[in-house]
Amino acid sequence: MPGTTSTPDIELIIEKKGGGGGGTPPPAGGDGGGDDGKRGRKGRPSPKRYYTGIALGIVSILMFFMALASAFLVRKGASTDWVSVHIPTLLWINTVVLMASSGTVELARKSLAKADLPGFKKYWSMSTGLGVLFLIGQLVAWKQLAGQGIYLASNPASSFFYIFTGAHAVHLIGGVGALLYVSLRNFDRAKVTRAVAAEVTSYYWHFMDALWLFLLALLYLGK
Amino acid sequence: MVTNDDGANANSTAHAGFVSRYLFNTHHKTIGLQYLWLALLSVFVGMILSALLRIHSSWPDTAIPFLASFESTPERYAAVRLLHGSLMVFFVLTAAPQLGFGNFLLPLQIGAEEMAFPALNLISFWMTVASLIGMTASFFFPLQSGIDVWLLSAAIFSVAALLSAVNFTVTTIELRATGMTLPRMPVTVWAWFLNAILSMLIFSVLLAGCSAVLSDRLLGSNFFSAASFLAQQPQNLVRQGSLPVLWQRLFWYFAQAEVYVAMLPCFGIVTHLIATFSRKPVWKERLVVLALCGVGLVGFCVWGYHMFATGMNPYAPLVFAVLASSLGVPAMILMASWFVTLWNARIELSASMLFAIGFVSLFIAGGLSGLFLARHDLARAAVSEDFVVGHFHLVMGVAATFAILAALFFWFPKLFGCRLSEPLGKAHFWMTFAGVYCIFMPMHWMGLLAQSQILSPSQRTLLAASGGSFRTIVTLATLWTVAAQLLFVFNFASTLLRRRELEEDNPWHASTLEWSIASPAPQVNFGDALPTVYRGAYEFPAGFSNDFAPQHLAPELLSQKAR
Repeated sequence: MPGTTSTPDIELIIEKKGGGGGGTPPPAGGDGGGDDGKRGRKGRPSPKRYYTGIALGIVSILMFFMALASAFLVRKGASTDWVSVHIPTLLWINTVVLMASSGTVELARKSLAKADLPGFKKYWSMSTGLGVLFLIGQLVAWKQLAGQGIYLASNPASSFFYIFTGAHAVHLIGGVGALLYVSLRNFDRAKVTRAVAAEVTSYYWHFMDALWLFLLALLYLGK
Repeated sequence: MVTNDDGANANSTAHAGFVSRYLFNTHHKTIGLQYLWLALLSVFVGMILSALLRIHSSWPDTAIPFLASFESTPERYAAVRLLHGSLMVFFVLTAAPQLGFGNFLLPLQIGAEEMAFPALNLISFWMTVASLIGMTASFFFPLQSGIDVWLLSAAIFSVAALLSAVNFTVTTIELRATGMTLPRMPVTVWAWFLNAILSMLIFSVLLAGCSAVLSDRLLGSNFFSAASFLAQQPQNLVRQGSLPVLWQRLFWYFAQAEVYVAMLPCFGIVTHLIATFSRKPVWKERLVVLALCGVGLVGFCVWGYHMFATGMNPYAPLVFAVLASSLGVPAMILMASWFVTLWNARIELSASMLFAIGFVSLFIAGGLSGLFLARHDLARAAVSEDFVVGHFHLVMGVAATFAILAALFFWFPKLFGCRLSEPLGKAHFWMTFAGVYCIFMPMHWMGLLAQSQILSPSQRTLLAASGGSFRTIVTLATLWTVAAQLLFVFNFASTLLRRRELEEDNPWHASTLEWSIASPAPQVNFGDALPTVYRGAYEFPAGFSNDFAPQHLAPELLSQKAR
């Protein structure tokens, strides 16, 4: 996993810069509850919960795809109606696009660590754009396959091809949502700092990236 | 993306409207209570359905008012069973002990003000409600579309359960009060925590399975289409006409572990109550926690034993049988701990404790028949449907319900600020306890007789004839047990209507953190300062006033309390 930059430093810089930490953000300690604004006994809660949360979220998403992957292998091993899907060339280009987006996410976080907010915004928007580009590319690849007469219902192999790419795309749309959230949110009032939000999002994004590589390998080697 | 907007907190004003106070309140206690109400509603509907099923199987010709309007086909009967099962498993056994009591009590017991992600909690609550509505509605649809709606609801429930599981796990890891080290956590918290981890793993699998089946049914994909797949399986291992095996594997992967998802929090609750009412620490607490881990771990691995009859590697049944039998080890540890804790204790036999002990009894009785089922050879020889139904209802359904009732009697003061009536509660316990044994013991017996190989055919015909009277006994006992629940309804309603104030905030003299604050729990859990924890959850040293050492009391204050 990337994100080896030490978090506390980043936070410190950001809080000084944005002034977000300095003011009195509504005590996130309220965390719901009925106490927002009334008690200032806690400032921003420790961001550790978000790291733990995303790690656990990643575990359960992984479990979801592992269930499908094992179904893929069992189904393939025991069927007579399996017709391999030739992976469209576009998918390899899409893969490069997705890899690049992971790179720009890291560049964005580096800029943020250097308190270079415009640089962060630039790279972060690039990542978002690349993410959207990947999704469009996937859609075009589906169209190409459909053009060749390979549909979801054609045979087990095509069913798995569509469900793997589809489920990954749905998860990636969530990731694009998170990227947009980080770029559009006003962090002066938020419970998390921008750095934490960016780091948590980047973990998810890199995971989506790695998951895509795994799925592609599965589809390519297992066809 | 898990960040929630702090402006969205609903109950910031005391006179907030109904919508913001109840429907969109992110507070953990409100959500916990809402889950409990949901479970209460589901349990009564589910129970009435089970009575209808029994009446139909004993007196098939009787017209049942509610069901008469439906066409009387075997599919309809199966649909009633499905509705009974889904209500009970998802919205009672999964929802009440984990999501209901867990949401309400977990932050209180670890000394936190809230769950880690309150907004996520609210979302998963409403998804659960949507899934309940969907599963109930699926009953009224024509059969095929009903199945689609059911599957969709199950998928929604899985997502909700996943979100809750992440929330529970993060809360336990990150939000514990100062001094609440892992060994000091109450066993209840351990159980909720481990259960959340287990749910996180298995509900993703159910979600994957449901998505694939839905895609097969709605979009015509080929994940589980049987024809070509089954043709490849060795003929002797595939029962003709069996459902697609792959779907079964994914499903049982979830469903077998689901049994432990229902049971784990109950183990936690019962251990907690037995220690508190025995005024003794949990015997070998760390071993008990390890046993709970063991239940989770093994529970995760035994899915295959539902698949003995389908196409599997011939050695696989042996592996799964060994795994399934090895569940006996953690179960023995738990039982040993319960008995040693009870041994020589000054037991306070409140209604809550009675239900907890009832749980132990049912767990042993149901667990013993599980030993037969875990042996694949025995299972094939001896098992018929009645035996299996008797087994899992006793150990999963009824035992878990007893744990839920025990928890309700125990934490009622914390939930509502008043106590349920003890005499009524005890009468309710004994009537229910007798009733469920009269239902499920004859059922086991019927199951054994149906498959008995040592009897001659003529003897079996004779038995089959007497089976009818057995069936009637079971049905009458079911009606009796359902009727006994009226006592509970009366107790529940009259207590809430009267709202007699508590004499003390900690009526049970329990030592965990939730009892260090007022009852009912105030809106803001711990006031201005989060508690600090100084000791384990089950310390009942003799010589202190009230004989218990609360977790939050500093040592110097505690010694002042000493006589």
